[in-house]
Amino acid sequence: MRKPRIVIVGGGAGSAAALAELRKQGFDGHLTLVSAESVVPYERPPLSKDFLLGTSGPVPFKDAAWYEQESVELLLGSRATRLDLAARTVTLSGGTVLGYDQLLLATGVRPRVLPGLDADGVCYLRTGEDAAALRERMTAAGHVAVLGGGFIGCEVAAAAIRLGKRATILEALPTLLHRVLGPELGDVVAGIHRDKGVDVRTGQQVLGVGPRPGGGVRLNTAAGDIDADVLVVGVGTVPSTELAEQAGLPTGNGIEVDACFATAAPGVYAIGDVAAQQLAGHGRRVRVEHHDTAVRHGRVAARNVLGRREPFGDVHWFWSDQFEHTISSAGLLADVGGAGPLIIRGSLEQRSFSAFSLDGNRVRAAISLNRPRDVLDVRRLIARDHSATAGQLRDESVPLKRLAAPAVAAT
Amino acid sequence: METARWRDTINLDDLWEGDMTAVTVDGEAVLLVNVDGTVRAYSNRCPHQASALDEGDLDGETLTCAKHLWEFNAVTGCGVNPDDARLTSYGCQVGDNGTIYVDIGR
Repeated sequence: MRKPRIVIVGGGAGSAAALAELRKQGFDGHLTLVSAESVVPYERPPLSKDFLLGTSGPVPFKDAAWYEQESVELLLGSRATRLDLAARTVTLSGGTVLGYDQLLLATGVRPRVLPGLDADGVCYLRTGEDAAALRERMTAAGHVAVLGGGFIGCEVAAAAIRLGKRATILEALPTLLHRVLGPELGDVVAGIHRDKGVDVRTGQQVLGVGPRPGGGVRLNTAAGDIDADVLVVGVGTVPSTELAEQAGLPTGNGIEVDACFATAAPGVYAIGDVAAQQLAGHGRRVRVEHHDTAVRHGRVAARNVLGRREPFGDVHWFWSDQFEHTISSAGLLADVGGAGPLIIRGSLEQRSFSAFSLDGNRVRAAISLNRPRDVLDVRRLIARDHSATAGQLRDESVPLKRLAAPAVAAT
Repeated sequence: METARWRDTINLDDLWEGDMTAVTVDGEAVLLVNVDGTVRAYSNRCPHQASALDEGDLDGETLTCAKHLWEFNAVTGCGVNPDDARLTSYGCQVGDNGTIYVDIGR
């Protein structure tokens, strides 16, 4: 009997997690991974942190030998250029045509490229190759400028300072991590960076970037020119939906999938950063660009590919390490952005706090600075029945765990 | 042959079922967990980035590091997520009087 073939397009952590889960669940058909990158899937989180410091090398999700043991066919350095939904085939950049029974699209996102910023010394950070090139430039640099005060920008600036470099962050919005944290909490993060010596320039429009005479880049801002040896651009991402679009799959802000990761086409699924997922309890499609979510997607999607109808129900979670500080979050803050002010437990001044978003009596999300334990508790609360008041959330003497409704006694 | 070097730590009365706590043994940070009466001793450092595990969460048999959510089986020390990690395990036994003895192997 012919064995079925599952093809996964995209070589990130979510793909590797899906492959591992497929084999763990006993799938013994053909498994093929198509990745534009030349290496097996690896962990991206260290690339903007320890990897830049030189304290971490590349960290493969599973080592190359694992793919051989598990009989996973690796088509690395290959780009899927065409998807034929009717014929169930994917065409690769080299011309190979791959048939599939089930297809998992995990094409991810790529950095948003700003037009006109193409001087030598302008870097983006997404892949291991990007990170290796950036590390080399940063090692040789005296001054590292970062455009964009999001997670990538903040983490790169922190790494630059730790390497003993000058670092400047240029951000158009009023503070750092503004979209995630809002002005008040974003200011706390800006304070951390300033105290460490980062030149944080918020509310800054960069008008242009050109080569600096003698090497490096010159940034032209309304407040004057800034010279740097390297400029890291971290101004958001673009979901890589081209393949899905070409095939005629619905793509808005990402490839549209249901709670079980199914696209509009039979046998075609999408996961990770590129998946715009319809989830119960959210008033909009959810697309999350965080490592933990991609890995959890991979696992749950694998089971769906094998025929289970298992809606994604894991609580979204992420972290960011900057200097000795850890930001972590559970739930989806963006869902409740307009729902009212965040409730704070702890102290902004002491840089140890959790901010909760409360919807009626339910905690919808939390983001914390240096209180990962709170986030762990909230992650569990969100997943179950609970009831909380703003007063309880503010009150340090109320353990967050206690807000969970008692389990219903068996009768 | 090396003789095991058992050190007395806390009493079982101070480590309830479902609880975990950090103690110091010969200068090493050691995590003690009590899963349904089974006591285990591990290095209190997550194999990922050495974060203190006692700041995480013990839920049933699952021990979760708060820093990056790595999960371990608290009885076996084996990684659950990722499944190729492992806690550093130490010798551990409970004496007749309830004293928890730990041997960190040096």
